[in-house]
Amino acid sequence: MLAQRATQQSLRRLAASNPSMASQMVFKSLAVGSSMQTRYEILVAQRKNRPTSPHLTIYKPQMTWIPSALNRVTGSVLSGGFYVFGAAYLVSPLFGWHLDSASMAAAFGSLPVAAKVAAKFAVALPFTFHSFNGLRHLSWDLGKTFSNQAVIRTGYVMLGVSTVSAFWLALFA
Amino acid sequence: MASIVRPAVLRQTCLATASKRTFSTKLSASFPAINKPATSVLSRPAVRNAFVKDALPSAVRVAAFHASGRQAILPPLPQVIDGTANDAAPVPPPSPSHGSYHWTFERLISAGLIPLTIAPFAAGSLNPTTDAILCAAILIHSHIGFESIVIDYIPTKRLPKTRVLFWWGLRLATVVVGVGLYEFETNDVGVTEAIKRIWHA
Repeated sequence: MLAQRATQQSLRRLAASNPSMASQMVFKSLAVGSSMQTRYEILVAQRKNRPTSPHLTIYKPQMTWIPSALNRVTGSVLSGGFYVFGAAYLVSPLFGWHLDSASMAAAFGSLPVAAKVAAKFAVALPFTFHSFNGLRHLSWDLGKTFSNQAVIRTGYVMLGVSTVSAFWLALFA
Repeated sequence: MASIVRPAVLRQTCLATASKRTFSTKLSASFPAINKPATSVLSRPAVRNAFVKDALPSAVRVAAFHASGRQAILPPLPQVIDGTANDAAPVPPPSPSHGSYHWTFERLISAGLIPLTIAPFAAGSLNPTTDAILCAAILIHSHIGFESIVIDYIPTKRLPKTRVLFWWGLRLATVVVGVGLYEFETNDVGVTEAIKRIWHA
């Protein structure tokens, strides 16, 4: 590790050396481009080199945006399951699947208790999260609880309520 | 440590780090896939040579400055100029049915889901009409949500054909699911009652 660090340092020093030569080179290329057409080409080249937005990992994880992103994730999970079931129920006679409520209840009831609780929790947590976080979003749409402190406070309340209610739904409901 | 003894190990480490590097606004010519115009005035070999000797492998040069991980979800394409370099971003024509009316409709559906979600918990189950209303509201809410996801992650500018495919595929899926739910509502016990029976099984 130390050796790599030393190599990086020496490379940086190498890059930083000879600045006078660098400036001469830049001036030479600008002097060539004295006509308007060439100046415009330089402008276009600069615009094409503008920095692009950094990816998500550069941002600090904060209560303002993490649950908002998870709102879309949990909504997609719930709606995806809803769509998969609806479409599968429509085509089930073609393939001989038994997706009527009695068969599904019997199949689910035959699972071991741990699997049942785990499956219920896996469905209940996205449901409670999306429901309670949806209330926050609707409140923001009305312009309420929209200060930074309120968003953070309601965020922690929402996380607590949705986790507890998901456990309650999985274990006792 | 071993890189003192074996320079090849160092080179491989540097190459691996460079291939993982995330975003760079400099030394772009060494990554033509991300920043294509290698003929750019600013990245002319003459200018770059003044800073760094080309005798160094370009990957090593980049590795010296960039060591963070690469996230390859929709990496930026080479930038292009539409029209002239000084054109402002186009403002789309105002359309309430695609703007404020649509936004309000989304919120009304979402707000309407609150009582419809509380009702089965309060009443134990739902009668067929209310259950059908709940299903329809969830279907519209889901459709709007999926539409937003398609708009956000499959931009027309970048993937025009994929966008059309997903746009109409989503509409087809919503119709199929709607028909499927109608079948379930008319032939079975209803969604809330079915969930209740499975949940208590």
